[in-house]
Amino acid sequence: MLAELINPYYLQVGSFMLINIILGISMYITLSTGQLSLANAGFMGIGAYTSALLTIHFSLPIPVGVVIGAIFAGLLGIVVGLPTLRLKGVFLAIVTLGFGEVIRVIFVNWESLTKGSVGLSGIPHMGRELLKTVKELGFEPKMLGLQNNQFIFMAIFLILLVIVIFVIWFFKRQNDSRIGRAFSAIKLDEQAAESMGINITYYKVLAFAQGALLSGFAGALFAHMLGYISPADFAYHKAIDILIFAVLGGSEVIWGPAFGAFFLTLLPEVLRFISEYRYMIYGVIIVVMMVVRPQGLIDLNVVKWIKRKTTRRGLKNGTGN
Amino acid sequence: MLIEQLINGITLGSIYAIVALGFTLVFGVLGIVNMGHGEIFMFGAFIGVLVTTTFGLPLWLAFLAAIIVTAFMGYLLERFALRPLRNHQGSNHLAPLISTIGVSIFLENLSHHLFGPGNHPFRTPFAEMSIEIGSVTVYLVQIVIFVISLILMAALSFWLGKTKAGKALRAVAENLETASLLGVDTKKYITLTVILASAMGGIAGILVGMAFNAVTPQMGLSMGLKGLAIIILGGMGNVKGAMVGGLILGLAETFIVVYGDSGYRDAIAFIAIIVILLVRPQGLFGQKTSDVRR
Amino acid sequence: MVLEIKKVSKNFGGLSALTDVSFSINKGEIFGLIGPNGAGKTTMFNLVTSIFPTSSGDIIFKGEKINELKPHLITEKGICRTFQNIRLFPQMTTVENVMVGVHSRSSSGVLKSVFRPKSQRQEEEGIKVKSQDLLKFVGLEGYEEVVAENLSYGQQRRLEIARAMASDPELLLLDEPAAGMNETETEDLFQLIKRIQQKGITVLLIEHDMPLVMNLCDRIAVLNFGVKIAEGTPKEIQDNPEVIEAYLGREEDELDA
Repeated sequence: MLAELINPYYLQVGSFMLINIILGISMYITLSTGQLSLANAGFMGIGAYTSALLTIHFSLPIPVGVVIGAIFAGLLGIVVGLPTLRLKGVFLAIVTLGFGEVIRVIFVNWESLTKGSVGLSGIPHMGRELLKTVKELGFEPKMLGLQNNQFIFMAIFLILLVIVIFVIWFFKRQNDSRIGRAFSAIKLDEQAAESMGINITYYKVLAFAQGALLSGFAGALFAHMLGYISPADFAYHKAIDILIFAVLGGSEVIWGPAFGAFFLTLLPEVLRFISEYRYMIYGVIIVVMMVVRPQGLIDLNVVKWIKRKTTRRGLKNGTGN
Repeated sequence: MLIEQLINGITLGSIYAIVALGFTLVFGVLGIVNMGHGEIFMFGAFIGVLVTTTFGLPLWLAFLAAIIVTAFMGYLLERFALRPLRNHQGSNHLAPLISTIGVSIFLENLSHHLFGPGNHPFRTPFAEMSIEIGSVTVYLVQIVIFVISLILMAALSFWLGKTKAGKALRAVAENLETASLLGVDTKKYITLTVILASAMGGIAGILVGMAFNAVTPQMGLSMGLKGLAIIILGGMGNVKGAMVGGLILGLAETFIVVYGDSGYRDAIAFIAIIVILLVRPQGLFGQKTSDVRR
Repeated sequence: MVLEIKKVSKNFGGLSALTDVSFSINKGEIFGLIGPNGAGKTTMFNLVTSIFPTSSGDIIFKGEKINELKPHLITEKGICRTFQNIRLFPQMTTVENVMVGVHSRSSSGVLKSVFRPKSQRQEEEGIKVKSQDLLKFVGLEGYEEVVAENLSYGQQRRLEIARAMASDPELLLLDEPAAGMNETETEDLFQLIKRIQQKGITVLLIEHDMPLVMNLCDRIAVLNFGVKIAEGTPKEIQDNPEVIEAYLGREEDELDA
């Protein structure tokens, strides 16, 4: 019964969705200080390549590789962020876009390390490694009535799910604190924020580095989920993908980009014919959203509305019992 | 060898400069970075391919067609992706940037569907004509490109600095509200600016097609990115800066291919701007804007 | 002496906005800075709060030179301000605006903010209580959850004062706090500034409402075309022929507006 429900294909789509949600959130964090960074695809690549190379060449365990990959991307975020964040919004967008290009060019050209545009393969696979470990401990997927394949995809999905829940929890808590207030003060009026005693450089670099770290984290997870990566996975189009999660879903609340990532990963799967025209549709969506609803589909009012609805329903159920 | 490379570098640089002029014009007047400019440029190149190679018509017709089509695209871009944003006040300053990114991604993929991916050759007898000076071969196209870029720069400087329309434009650039109070038809001038910049992009598209004999849907992106790098290099909104920035980049790229590692050619532009931003944030020729303005 | 302005000048691209201006403010007083429009008053505020660098001269706060510090460090030292054209965080609630003001007097970093140990919860509670108290102090009790942009003009001005006070300033700079207020609101503002003074906070005030300035200030300095033309008690200023000339030379009604 369980076994039939667990379809590896759906789990795979679900896993991509979860990775994309992390990427959407990485965009949101930087945007929550009013900075548009288009470098997140590049940082994602940094995380992916770092973790992949470390696990391949030094046989590091996957979790260690992922953490180092994320931290390395975050550190690079500080290095890039410090000089560029002194600049006004438009400059930052262009420089970060250019940074992404430079990263891609390096991936393509540093062939001795990255295997050029062909990319890396044979990266330790999260699910298979886990299967090997549990088998050594004497566990067999059959004990749950699962095939190995199902176990692998199921495990990946669940691991990512836990990670995504943690990430959302983490950044929601951060947002609802002194740090979050500083972020949104900077977004709303940089100069007033500075005059109220907020070190705007520190918080802008913090947000930028957190975004970079999270992108790198998502990239590393991506590498170990697929087992192969190439520079094209982290090029301009990926940057646009991440941008549109926040543009469509919204960047006022964390649920916005999460919804954007969820919806836009699902859409081409459900409507097959869309995938061919995907980027044309994305382009139209971006323009239309900027004109009609620049804050994105999910804004603060929508969240409040949903909360009201759900609490009312909760009350009704309560009296029913 | 060296002189030929120098000529190649100047040619490439002149093309970059023309693309950058389009960015500069829009930024100078509207304070907006038009991310769709690179794709409009690419459409100009494809129109050139269609007219000359597919239909076998003369080159001047290609220029005319490219100018008309790209100017019209500029109009559409302003009408649908920029004007509606101006109308609702207080919207995010990133909105026009993001909406023109939308335009660029739309146009790039539209061209994939219309023209197909991959390389399209740009065959015109004119591109083969060359003159020998001693041991150096100079293609006529190269001279034409250089001359056109100089003419465009001079015309733009003159038009902005000396004519009535130019003065109105600068008033718009200075302050939209004041300009409209002074009786300048700001809507007209903004539209005109975008149209003009786009048409220049179209011209650049054909020139590039001829110079490299190759047109692809991706060329808009890479050229757009370089144009952006150049306007940061030369100072945002600065006409001379765009020209000199373009030449510097063109020469640097040419020489790294000859003496360095050609793979890193596309990265130079951005390494340069990161350095420039650190050392001289206003660009090579930009005025140090007083802190009051923004 | 709390603040000393020593021969401060400011040029914007060749135009001089302030020329060799000097004055000093004693602890606990309300000091008025007046002058016709464009005299350089707000520029002086922007120099004191380091939004612009000075072209020459020094600004000394409690014996320490501060004109090369970054704006947020000025706030940390104990100077905070309001803005002539109200600059609240419009989409935040009233209480959130004030809570932002407490930023420089709190310290929880990322990890504390996320994992919330007891010290962080106490700090956060303290910020909230302090902010509510300040709202009460400026007369905005009951408006805690109202989004700032929905407040009336006079309320927004008072919210700005509360937000500035949240950083525990020793010197508070108020830039035209009465602008756009009606008579009752102005009277309330008068009382509010007096109460701020009673808390031991020194006030530097830019204001065009002359009756308010004359009744409120202990001393006044007058700027005209970026130059200080007079300094003294309200009485001395009102009798100073140069001041009268400066105002009459411009709009007649400004002095008794």
